[in-house]
Amino acid sequence: MKKHFYSSIITTDSLHIALESLEVSQEEKEHLEMLVDSSLYHTILNAILSELSESDKRLFLEQLLSENDDEILSFLSKKIDHIEDKIKTAADSLIEELHKDIEETKKK
Amino acid sequence: MQWFGKKTKTHYEKLSEKWVKRHVAIQENLWKKHGKVLQEIRDKTKQYAISSLAGMLLLLSPATQIKGADIKTVKEAPVVPDLPKQSQFLIDLATVVPQQVRELSPQEEGQIAQVLSQYTGMKVSAELGGIRLNRTYGFIGKEQHLARYPGDTMATHFDNPDDAATFAEAGMAPGLGGWGYFTTNGQFTQEDALREKYYIAVQTFLAPGYADNVRKYSEFFRWRKMLVVNPQNGKALVADIGDAGPAVWTGKQLGGSPEVMNYLQRVDGAQRGPVLYFFIDDPQNNIPLGPVQL
Repeated sequence: MKKHFYSSIITTDSLHIALESLEVSQEEKEHLEMLVDSSLYHTILNAILSELSESDKRLFLEQLLSENDDEILSFLSKKIDHIEDKIKTAADSLIEELHKDIEETKKK
Repeated sequence: MQWFGKKTKTHYEKLSEKWVKRHVAIQENLWKKHGKVLQEIRDKTKQYAISSLAGMLLLLSPATQIKGADIKTVKEAPVVPDLPKQSQFLIDLATVVPQQVRELSPQEEGQIAQVLSQYTGMKVSAELGGIRLNRTYGFIGKEQHLARYPGDTMATHFDNPDDAATFAEAGMAPGLGGWGYFTTNGQFTQEDALREKYYIAVQTFLAPGYADNVRKYSEFFRWRKMLVVNPQNGKALVADIGDAGPAVWTGKQLGGSPEVMNYLQRVDGAQRGPVLYFFIDDPQNNIPLGPVQL
């Protein structure tokens, strides 16, 4: 999985383990992991952007382009109270849904 | 012999179908709420170097198709060398395919053809021999099976029980394909079987210049090979033009055989989605029909 500025805050290990329990090839697993990665990324972006003013949204996205993870988190912590909790909450909610999907897949 | 049992979907098929839909919904929600500022940043990516594009890769991929950096820079160095080729393909596509499903500009078509050619190793283009279709990016609908030879029915149409179980429910169209039966000099060959299996219907009648050159265009389009790609999952296959359609009022720009739709993971109706479709230059008929492994 690609490292992101929020990689120190959230973990998707449980999803990787759950995917191991499915009958999928390595290539299929990689595609599913990519969907997890990208879905989380967009979910977290949405959660962050929803907390920022228009001008701060621009600054944040420009920092995202720089790929300087420390700067991004430093910027966000100044602009949003409890930013780490908010990222974690958004991510955990999605991860829970994805776990449910995996369980349903196994049942059918 | 008839096979009409229901094929069980694999874990991957079930989960990827669900997660692709979820992913598209998440991206659409993001763009709905923050589209203005994302659009500004998208435009700015044109000024950034390769590393910046890498930073944006997930913002752009895999189900959001917004264009950004010049594709030339993408070719000069791998954007994310640690990703599998399929994922890399999706990312590169995302930089050149617009989010809105619409007619592409010649520049966009050129960039997309370059990406498709690069990954498939085929010579792919929007125009071939001075002929082009009305569109190269549009919504695809599900067609029925076509009779391949006189007497071909749903009972004779499938090679094995699995295919019958999966594809029989689509049924057979009451009429023939745009070029009649799928036979060669009166004989039904293996290649003919693949032509029907992987056929698409395109709006030949809307091709620029068609009305003035009906015969020439009809000969050109008959079983012409096209690369069809789902830009939201990177699945690609070599199809052939087996029919003309769909009608303009349907809001769809092309149709795919049940097998084409199944492979690309596209569905009809409210959940319909877009595909890219470009001509393949294959004068020696060396490129096989069917799924393309990147």
